[in-house]
Amino acid sequence: MTSVVRLYVVAVATVVLFLGWAFAAARPFGDSSPDPRMEALAAREQHLRAESMRIQRLVDRRWAAYGRRMAERSRAPQPVVRLTQLPPVTATRSS
Amino acid sequence: MIRRAFRAMGTDVELLLDAPRGDAALVAAEAEFHRLEKLLSRFRPDSELSRLNADGSIDAGPDLVRVVRLALEAREATNGRFDPTVHDALVAAGYDRTFDEIEAHGEVARRIPGGGRVAIDGNRIELQPGVRIDLGGIAKGDAVDRAADVLAPAGPCLVNAGGDLAVRGGSWPVAVEHLTVLLESGAIATSGTDRRRWTRNGREQHHLIDPRTGEPARSPFLRVSAVGSTAVEAEVLAKTVFLGDEAAARRHPCVLVRADGSVELTGGLW
Repeated sequence: MTSVVRLYVVAVATVVLFLGWAFAAARPFGDSSPDPRMEALAAREQHLRAESMRIQRLVDRRWAAYGRRMAERSRAPQPVVRLTQLPPVTATRSS
Repeated sequence: MIRRAFRAMGTDVELLLDAPRGDAALVAAEAEFHRLEKLLSRFRPDSELSRLNADGSIDAGPDLVRVVRLALEAREATNGRFDPTVHDALVAAGYDRTFDEIEAHGEVARRIPGGGRVAIDGNRIELQPGVRIDLGGIAKGDAVDRAADVLAPAGPCLVNAGGDLAVRGGSWPVAVEHLTVLLESGAIATSGTDRRRWTRNGREQHHLIDPRTGEPARSPFLRVSAVGSTAVEAEVLAKTVFLGDEAAARRHPCVLVRADGSVELTGGLW
């Protein structure tokens, strides 16, 4: 056998090996049903996401009502604030 | 412009009044601060708040009822992120005396989450057994709002109690971090952990308790400055955003300083 033929045999054998590996990795004869634990996790995630959105909407509504009550109680109009280049007369800081 | 500065509620208070003859109003506004401190401080054993915490119930005056009601409304509005019933958690973390008197090092006691029951019926306030309340920040915000109400008839004014400030009339440039904002109406408050810190069991503690854990909060922020219609609202908002409610920061003008020092403006502030 010439070295060229040997080279071809090795190359074909390598290709066949990798094709077989890929076929086996695809698990065509394995259980195709999804993992129940993954399904449960996905359902739990979806439930938590929906719950978190519901709570966020609730908090948003409460904040809005709270802001209205504060403004009514103090008879103060909504705050008016913007950036300026004027020199400050005082400062806010953590206390 | 006339100015008066003094100490009350454990911090520096500054009153600015744009009126030539407003000295009497400044004196009255300072008196209002001291009057409220006498009623609402947890560090004065004879205050109404201390009597409520000691006895579990009290027939309170209108100021304590008002501030407790404000605190409970804030607890509801923030879904418990703001909670006056963290008193024992603050004490456990080592904040058991005025900040000037806290020992730098010591032992930490057990953690106590918030959520305790507080009932108000007329002027009667009742606490769930074992629950005590702290009105620190919200009482200061209320005092700022009340002092501004006292000053306002005399002219445009600004009241600043250790960074929690409110204005009535006029336009007031206020430094926030490296920026200056022009406040024409409303209030600004800042919450952060860069000033009131101490150590217990070798771990750094601070005064911003997360009511859900009963421990000093772990925040993505160093400081949060928030704008509200009143100093009480701004104080509640700043604390709530500091405890992680970034959605609230999107709806209100805020200046956020993140842990890496970067500064972000939100709520249409630019």
